Amino acid sequence: MLPLLLLLVPAAHGIARLAYTPALTKEPSLGGQKTASTFVLDQPRCVFDKYGNADIWLVVALDSAASTFNNTERPGTPETAFQNFPDPVHAYMTLNTTLINYPCSNPAGDITVLRVGSETSCAQDVTRPTCNGPLPGPGPYRVKFLALEGSVPVAETGWSLPITLKEAKSPDTISTTRSGHSAGMIAITTILSILFAILLAGLVAMLVFWSSDSCSGSSTFSKPESVTVRRYNTHHVYDQPAARL
Amino acid sequence: MAKNYDCVHILQGLLVFGNVVIGMCGIALTAECIYFVSNPHDLYPLLKATENSDIYTSAWIGIFVGLALFALSILGIIGVIKASRTLLLVYIILMLTTFAFEMASCITAATHQDSLTPGLFLKQMLERYQKSEPANNSDNVVTKTWDELMLQNHCCGVLGPSDWQEYTSAFRRMHSDADYPWPRMCCVLDAQGLPINLDGCKLGVSGYYNSNGCYDTISGPVNTHAWGVAWFGFAILCWTFCVLLGTMFYWSRIEY
Repeated sequence: MLPLLLLLVPAAHGIARLAYTPALTKEPSLGGQKTASTFVLDQPRCVFDKYGNADIWLVVALDSAASTFNNTERPGTPETAFQNFPDPVHAYMTLNTTLINYPCSNPAGDITVLRVGSETSCAQDVTRPTCNGPLPGPGPYRVKFLALEGSVPVAETGWSLPITLKEAKSPDTISTTRSGHSAGMIAITTILSILFAILLAGLVAMLVFWSSDSCSGSSTFSKPESVTVRRYNTHHVYDQPAARL
Repeated sequence: MAKNYDCVHILQGLLVFGNVVIGMCGIALTAECIYFVSNPHDLYPLLKATENSDIYTSAWIGIFVGLALFALSILGIIGVIKASRTLLLVYIILMLTTFAFEMASCITAATHQDSLTPGLFLKQMLERYQKSEPANNSDNVVTKTWDELMLQNHCCGVLGPSDWQEYTSAFRRMHSDADYPWPRMCCVLDAQGLPINLDGCKLGVSGYYNSNGCYDTISGPVNTHAWGVAWFGFAILCWTFCVLLGTMFYWSRIEY
C-alpha cells in the first residue's frame, strides 16, 4: 500500500509537459518582430485547452538561467518580479491570462500576438511585479508558458529557442562617402578634359600658324572685300596704222 | 575658284548655324539655371544642412555661362560673315574661357550628385531629427522637413523604419524603444493626424505603418537638378567643341 501511495503522490504533483514551443511571430510578417527592447510571440492557441481553470503565465528568462528555473516559483513575488530582472532575478513571470483569451478558433483577419515589453508605465513600479516591461538588454532570452492552478503548476510548454534582440550602433559608424565615383562623373570629367585639351592645342597651333606666316599661300580663300576683278583688254583698241592705208 | 567659294560658303553657313544653336542653348541654360536657383525644392533644407551647396554654385555659374555663350555666339556670327581674323581670334579665346567655366560647373554638379549618398542623409537624420536641444534653427528645420517628407510621401526613414532600430539617434534618446520603435510620422495617420492603429504601427503591421524608405523621394529632385545642370552643360560643350574646331579651321584659312 505504501509504495503505491508513494507512486501516486509524485503523479499528482506532476506537471504536464505540452508539445508546444513558443516562437516569434512569423505570420504575418511584422516590422517590429524584434526591436531593441521588445519582441513578439505567437499566442498559445489550442494548447492549454484542458486547463480551463488555470492562469497561464509567460516566463521570460535569461538564456543561461532557463535550465535552472524552478516551476514552483510563484508570480508576483520579488523572486519573479520584473523590476528585479536581470539581476538578481534571472527569470520573471508576466502576461497573466486565462484560457478565455486564447480560444482555439482562429479568426481570419485578426492578428493574434503577444508583444513582450510593451508596458512602459510600470517598468519602475515595484508594486507591479508582473509588469510586462521593456527588456533591459539584447539578451539572449528564452520564454515558456506555464499554467498555474492557484499556485500549483499544472502544465508547461517547452522553452523557446534563444531570442536575441537588436543592438543599436552609433551613427558615427555610417560611412557618408561613396566608395568610388559614378560612371557619369568620370565620363564627364575625362571627355571634357580631352575636348578642352584638343581645343587648347588647336589654339596653340593657330597662334603658331599666325606668327610663322608659312601656310598663308596654299588653298586660301580671300576675304570678300579684297576680291578684285582685273580687267583684261581682250580687244585691241588702238588704231592699226596698217589698216588705214 | 568657284568650288573654293562654294566650300567657303558651306563652311560659313555651318559655322553660323553652329553659333545660332550655341546662342539658343546659352539662353536655355541661363533660363534653366535661374529656375533652379530661384525655385529651391522642398528638400532644400536637407541639402543646406549637409553644408555642401555645390549644386547651387554650379547653377549660378551656369547662369553667367549661358549669357556669355549667347553674347559670344553673336560675336562669332559677325566674325564668320566678315571673315575678320581679329574678331574670330577674340571669339575663340573668350569661348575657350567660357568652355573652361562651364566644364568646372558640370564636373562640380556631377561630383556633388555623387556625394549625396543615402549614408549622408541617414547620418543627418539620426543626429538631428527631433533633437532635444537644437543647436541652431537648422535642426528645427530638419525635423520639420522630415516630418513633412514622411507625411506626404508615406515613407519612413532613409532606408526604412529599421534605421531607427539599427542606430542610436537623437530621437531614441528622447523616446523609449518600446513606445516608439519609430517616429509617429511613420504610422499611417488619419485626417486628424493620429495613427489609425497605434498598436499595429508599433508592431509593424503592414498597412498601419510605412515600411519603405524616403531615399528615392529625396534623390529624385536632386538627380533632376544635377542632370539638368551637368548633362545639359556637357551636351552644350560637345557642340561648342565642334563649332570651335570649325572656327579654328576657318580662321587658319582666311587670307590675312
